[in-house]
Amino acid sequence: GYPVAPQQQQDPNALGQQFQSMNLGGQPQQLPPQAQQPQIQLLPSDLIAAPVQAVEVDAPPPPIALPANLAATPSPHANCPAPYIRSTLASVPTTHSLLKKSKLPFSLIVQPYTSLHEDEAPIPVIDDQVISRCRRCRAYINPYVTFLDHGHRWRCNMCNLTNDVPQAFDWDAAQQKSVDRWQRSELNYGVVEFVAPQEYMVRPPQPLVYLFLIEVGQASLVNGLCATVSKIIAEALPRIPNADGRTRVGFIGFDTSLYYFSIPRDGSENNDPSMLVVSDLDEPFLPTPDNLLVTLSESMQNVQTFLEKLPTMFQDNPQTGSAMGSALRAGHRMTAAIGAKITVLSSSIPNAGFGKLENRERKDILGTSKEGSLLQTQNSFYKSFAVECSKNQVSIDMFLFSSAYQDVASLSNLPRYTGGQTYFYPGWNAARQEDAIKLAQEFTNYLSSEIGLEAVLRVRASTGLRMSAFYGNFFNRSSDLCAFPSFPRDQQYNVEVAIDETLTRPQVFLQAAVLHTSCNGSRRIRVMTLGLPTTDNIASVYAGADAQAITTYFSHKAVERALSSGLDAARDALQSKVIEILQTYKSNIGGGTGGLTLPGNLRALPVLFLGLIKNVGLRKSALIPSDLRAAALCLLSTLPTALLLRYIYPAFHSLHDMPDDAGVPDPQTGNIVMPPLLNLSSERIVPYGLYLLDDGVNQFLWVGRDAVPALLMDVFGIEDQSLIKQGKTTLPLLDNDFSQRIHAVLEKARDHKAKGVGSITVPTLYVVRESGEPTLKLWAQTLLVEDRADQGVSLQQWLGMLREKVVQ
Amino acid sequence: MADYEALKDQWSDIEDRDGIRLSWNTFPSSRMEASRLVVPIGALYTPLKETASPLLQYEPIVCKAPCRAVLNPFCQVDMRAKVWQCPFCMQRNGLPAHYKDISAEQIPPELHPSNTTIEYKLARPAPSPPIFLFVVDTCQEEDGLKALKDSIIMSLSLLPQYALVGLITFGTMTQVHELGYTECAKSYVFRGNKDYTSQQVQEMLGLGQIAPRANMQQQPGRPPMPIGGPGARFLLPVAQCEFQLTNALEQLQKDPWPVANDKRALRCTGVALSVAAGLLETSFKNMGSRIMLFSGGPATEGPGMVVGPELREPIRSHHDIDRDNIKYYKKALKFYDTLAKRIAHNGHIVDIFAGCLDQVGLLEMKGLVNSTGGHMVLTDSFTSSMYKQSFARVFNKDEDDNLLMGFNADFEVLTTKELKVTGLIGHAVSSNKKSSSVGETECGIGNTCLWKMCGINPESSYGVYFEIAGQGGPNQLAAGPQKGMMQFLTYYQHSAGNFHLRVTTVARNLSGPSGDPAIAQSFDQEAAAVLMSRIAVFKAEVDDGPDVLRWVDRMLIRLCARFAEYRKDDPSSFRLEKNFTLYPQFMFHLRRSQFLQVFNNSPDETAFYRHVLNHEDVSNSLIMIQPTLDSYGFDHEGGQPVLLDSSSIQSETVLLLDTFFHILIFHGETMAEWRKAGYQEQEGYENFAALLDAPKGDARDLIQDRFPLPRFIVCDAGGSQARFLLSKLNPSTTHTSQGQYGGASAQTIFTDDVSLQTFMDHLMKLAVSGTS
Ligand SMILES: [Zn+2]
Ligand SMILES: [Zn+2]
Repeated sequence: GYPVAPQQQQDPNALGQQFQSMNLGGQPQQLPPQAQQPQIQLLPSDLIAAPVQAVEVDAPPPPIALPANLAATPSPHANCPAPYIRSTLASVPTTHSLLKKSKLPFSLIVQPYTSLHEDEAPIPVIDDQVISRCRRCRAYINPYVTFLDHGHRWRCNMCNLTNDVPQAFDWDAAQQKSVDRWQRSELNYGVVEFVAPQEYMVRPPQPLVYLFLIEVGQASLVNGLCATVSKIIAEALPRIPNADGRTRVGFIGFDTSLYYFSIPRDGSENNDPSMLVVSDLDEPFLPTPDNLLVTLSESMQNVQTFLEKLPTMFQDNPQTGSAMGSALRAGHRMTAAIGAKITVLSSSIPNAGFGKLENRERKDILGTSKEGSLLQTQNSFYKSFAVECSKNQVSIDMFLFSSAYQDVASLSNLPRYTGGQTYFYPGWNAARQEDAIKLAQEFTNYLSSEIGLEAVLRVRASTGLRMSAFYGNFFNRSSDLCAFPSFPRDQQYNVEVAIDETLTRPQVFLQAAVLHTSCNGSRRIRVMTLGLPTTDNIASVYAGADAQAITTYFSHKAVERALSSGLDAARDALQSKVIEILQTYKSNIGGGTGGLTLPGNLRALPVLFLGLIKNVGLRKSALIPSDLRAAALCLLSTLPTALLLRYIYPAFHSLHDMPDDAGVPDPQTGNIVMPPLLNLSSERIVPYGLYLLDDGVNQFLWVGRDAVPALLMDVFGIEDQSLIKQGKTTLPLLDNDFSQRIHAVLEKARDHKAKGVGSITVPTLYVVRESGEPTLKLWAQTLLVEDRADQGVSLQQWLGMLREKVVQ
Repeated sequence: MADYEALKDQWSDIEDRDGIRLSWNTFPSSRMEASRLVVPIGALYTPLKETASPLLQYEPIVCKAPCRAVLNPFCQVDMRAKVWQCPFCMQRNGLPAHYKDISAEQIPPELHPSNTTIEYKLARPAPSPPIFLFVVDTCQEEDGLKALKDSIIMSLSLLPQYALVGLITFGTMTQVHELGYTECAKSYVFRGNKDYTSQQVQEMLGLGQIAPRANMQQQPGRPPMPIGGPGARFLLPVAQCEFQLTNALEQLQKDPWPVANDKRALRCTGVALSVAAGLLETSFKNMGSRIMLFSGGPATEGPGMVVGPELREPIRSHHDIDRDNIKYYKKALKFYDTLAKRIAHNGHIVDIFAGCLDQVGLLEMKGLVNSTGGHMVLTDSFTSSMYKQSFARVFNKDEDDNLLMGFNADFEVLTTKELKVTGLIGHAVSSNKKSSSVGETECGIGNTCLWKMCGINPESSYGVYFEIAGQGGPNQLAAGPQKGMMQFLTYYQHSAGNFHLRVTTVARNLSGPSGDPAIAQSFDQEAAAVLMSRIAVFKAEVDDGPDVLRWVDRMLIRLCARFAEYRKDDPSSFRLEKNFTLYPQFMFHLRRSQFLQVFNNSPDETAFYRHVLNHEDVSNSLIMIQPTLDSYGFDHEGGQPVLLDSSSIQSETVLLLDTFFHILIFHGETMAEWRKAGYQEQEGYENFAALLDAPKGDARDLIQDRFPLPRFIVCDAGGSQARFLLSKLNPSTTHTSQGQYGGASAQTIFTDDVSLQTFMDHLMKLAVSGTS
């Protein structure tokens, strides 16, 4: 059961309202409003009689049924597309009580960017600096406003206020001629970007500033981080966005001391860097006012020279220990006046200076009720400092490489409140080629990413709606304003909506706006406007419920619960929620059959919740180091929905018997065709098979114990299975069709662009032999979420248990 | 009585041989007698004076503990029994086996009567080569900084290749340069406004970790751990780090922190010195080291600041200090004095080179230099030749190419029972050693018989003061005149790399029964004047100026009352013996000198002048107290000494004044006119040209060996620079006395000071009145 296309269905309630909003202004191209409110049909289905197929997890969201000519123009792009904003509900209950009764959340999953680079997903830019906004609710003009008074005025679709159309709206000042208003992007597109005029700036646009804090003590020498990162940055320098020539970079090394580097301009008398060591950690200070942050276009050569020298500078450094917190304070001091992205590359737990942390992890509390405390911050520095950074437009990203406990839980607060991200590379070692390459690729992606700066996100909505909660990595500066010192292109945010008043109109509108400075120094406002129909019918609410968006919402909620009340509470809450939804559906809509019924659009919900409960971040287990958990929680609360789904319900493909068209380009689209998705159950595995398990972070190539030598020869170039290297590896590209197709599949699985998301991540490939290393095998098997494993139930047990509870 | 000139020659010979001048060359034999001498028994001793005495390559023979006196020509030796008797404790000591061949004809050098001073080169090696830590102020204009950098780079060629060198720079902050690091310029930065403890400095420089890795342990084939352990990263042999250090100096820029127009640059001299002390303290304790501070202005930041950064706030003057109207003085003084104590305790030297038109805070910092035996050089700018040449002279070498400087000296005084040492005035600190030689009273740094001089050089001279312990007359049992004896033992790190011991043994007759005229005859007025000046300056450091002047007057009057011939209450009958006649004049000039009359100088200058006085020998000190004046005229060839008196100014002469600190050539009115007219370049006026050149040549000779280089002034009558001359002259013709003596050619000095004549009149009147 796929969700079906919208069908025309009469809704008597909607009819009268529709006339009210009928457009009487002079819109020549607009068709007369349609008299019917389109509705989505509800198709109940039994989860036990018709088990959910893996492919259903990836189903597109329920369509949003708006009247065809609701918008001011006939543009097919008037409504905000799903990757940018996804509502958990495609039909909004008209009242709070109906929402409450439905037991479903009403929340927006906002992902303002769908790629790391603008040109990979360009959106219309309005650069004439004519920005018309509602005087009352400050909404931006959008395709759903109505024009009155011969087009001289527009009525706000959020608050209904009538506003003047600005003079310049129909006039192209640059070309000195009138323009066709109906061609204006803001009336045609649900996602547009305005170039902001002067009044949107409190100061000149901030330049892009990268300040790298690199641990240079023993830990970073042993794992090769210092040398590798120097090389990667040196090579990636030309890829750091620098269109306006203002981009600056700076470097601070740290162990238990801070190492500043003064880098002269290219062509100076002396082009060598000088190192200034500060060991006074009481209140870190800048040792010189000169050349600590250098303009890349003026000092490119000398920054390269510096990066070449950096590894040898510390090759004999005997220092152990890390004063990372002090380095951060120093970095903050260095950049607070202009704002910056501080990139921390650290190989050990900070054990000196500010924000000093203890190694608090004890094996014996893993898997117990006390485990939750390990996920909480052990030093208030991390939150208070992050908030201070946020105020000064300083954002922090953590790249963590420790082979021992590093306290990711505490450290991840820094990115959490500053619009940053935590990237965790447990046990990373440059000597392992795969590790070095992965970091090189990811870090280069990271540096090339066109991040925004000094950004704020605000969501406005129709009268009666209120943004009640915000989830994601930012600082909630006031009740509805989220602040991002830098705005990443690979994260998603969750904004919960409350219904404060009865919604009397057939549609409501929500508008998310990100005011930011582009990394090219232009002040921009990205505006996303979403229209949704309203309904007073609980069945309609269910028919429009988006299982993936709901899962994303509950992923945020589960992380919040895990951090505040522990893992048991988080898992219990998820289980209660799915039961509640099933019961609500059963008692209010579905009727009393013996099975477990949900509408087609929600069929994946129970299995997604199971996946979430069994995710490494939340799974009940005594074997998961808390750093791994904490890092997983970071992903669960930031990953764009497409990646989040992969993370909680991995892709599973059978490769040895993939269809002939798989692994080769589709003749129509040119895209590589993926083998069919399999349900995540070991029942699908045959002993002679070859499989791919992919959660977006790791890719496991599973080699069945009886895989035939010819297959092995084709894929690995080795006939004897026992000689195949297990674990992290690089698959050879062999001169045969099968090898090439497998490579194409692995490559396609990593194609973020195709998924409509931005991400720097390059998944790590592991070869797992069924007859080989047991821990590796067990690890891969944890991705088979429909299996019973460790302390987790199988999908069958899960559904059985749900049915029991629902039937009660 | 012996001829005074013959005595002078004898004292001079002794000075050449032993480096010593005594105020009294016959010692009174009783306390009572001694108390009536007024001027204490004292010695001005130059331990490392370059003398002809032999250098012995073996260990000295010493008396049993606790005496430890060294075998000397005054010991009685029983040649047959191979036993010697110690004159200080009277114990008998056996001679070691290798002395078995001695006889009356064959005596070892240390027993030879002429070898009252002898030096031993000991087997004990120095713990490290000499260390030079340059502490450079970067808050300077480019030209000053450039000149300074050049001079330091130049000095590397003057240092032995094995000497260890290091670099600290400071401005708003302090940077310690890691010269052992070759990947790039690397320095450790300390904030300028924080008082770092030694422990913190050590930790922040990473000096705490010994052998950080197992493989750092000494292994066969690996070079041994360098001197200084982990500190060796900062202080390396010249041969090894010359390139690195030269580079670091050449790259040195003016302090980069911005300075507002109404502000002084932030300069954290105190932190820089404290960090320098900490660096040496941890890894180089008791290894001969010089911390050479180059200061371009006052400390305005952090501990030890002497003036605030606001320009409208002036730096303190003597008047401010007098009125106790000073913001930072006491705190800074306390900071530097505490630091000085630490540095002296560690055996390290602080030199201060100031290159600044304004003051740099020498007054506050003087303890650092004075307690450690460093150099103080006060110049207007590092671009001046006065600075450059003075700095270069620090690295003067002896014939064997060894630096003329000793380190970490222990200076001990032993006395026979009649004498007790009461103290020392000079650049040293007490080592607090009590012995039977220590007196009850205290003069200068007392209550000890052992002092420490972190820095000592061939010119370093110390005033050592004694009292008489004996109650009665001489021991009647002994045959011949009884002698009182002193032994000066100077144990120091020689720059060539071993420890040396210099031994000077002094024996003088004890006076006969009360009233023995030998005492008066043995009075060395020059030595006495210098020894008294040191006491006066020592007092001036703690007492009020007027009190010190009264003390000087009272002592002079009492001395004259005791030793002059006169009829009571008849000043006209007043007569002084030849060896006393100059003494009142010395005191007259001392009273007027910059050492006691401070208000015409800045506090920094006062600190500088007093510092130098406490370092020099008798003859140099006398020049400072009573400058020399030579006159050049057509009527005689070459310079002729003339009275330091305003009457010496004549329009047809050229004068050459030497105050030690200034060398001044003064052209009389006519001479100046002729010179301006250019006669010296015309034919037929060769004698005039020669006359102009003569004082210049003599001035060059004076400058030859002087340290610091004096300020050289050429001026004309009526010119503003002439004030330097006028301030030194006896105002025999002042505006108040003009009616009486005013001649057409003599210079009238506008001053309220009394003239020498008036002074002497008063002195005679008071001396004969018997009231004092
Ligand atoms: Zn509005
Ligand atoms: Zn003895």
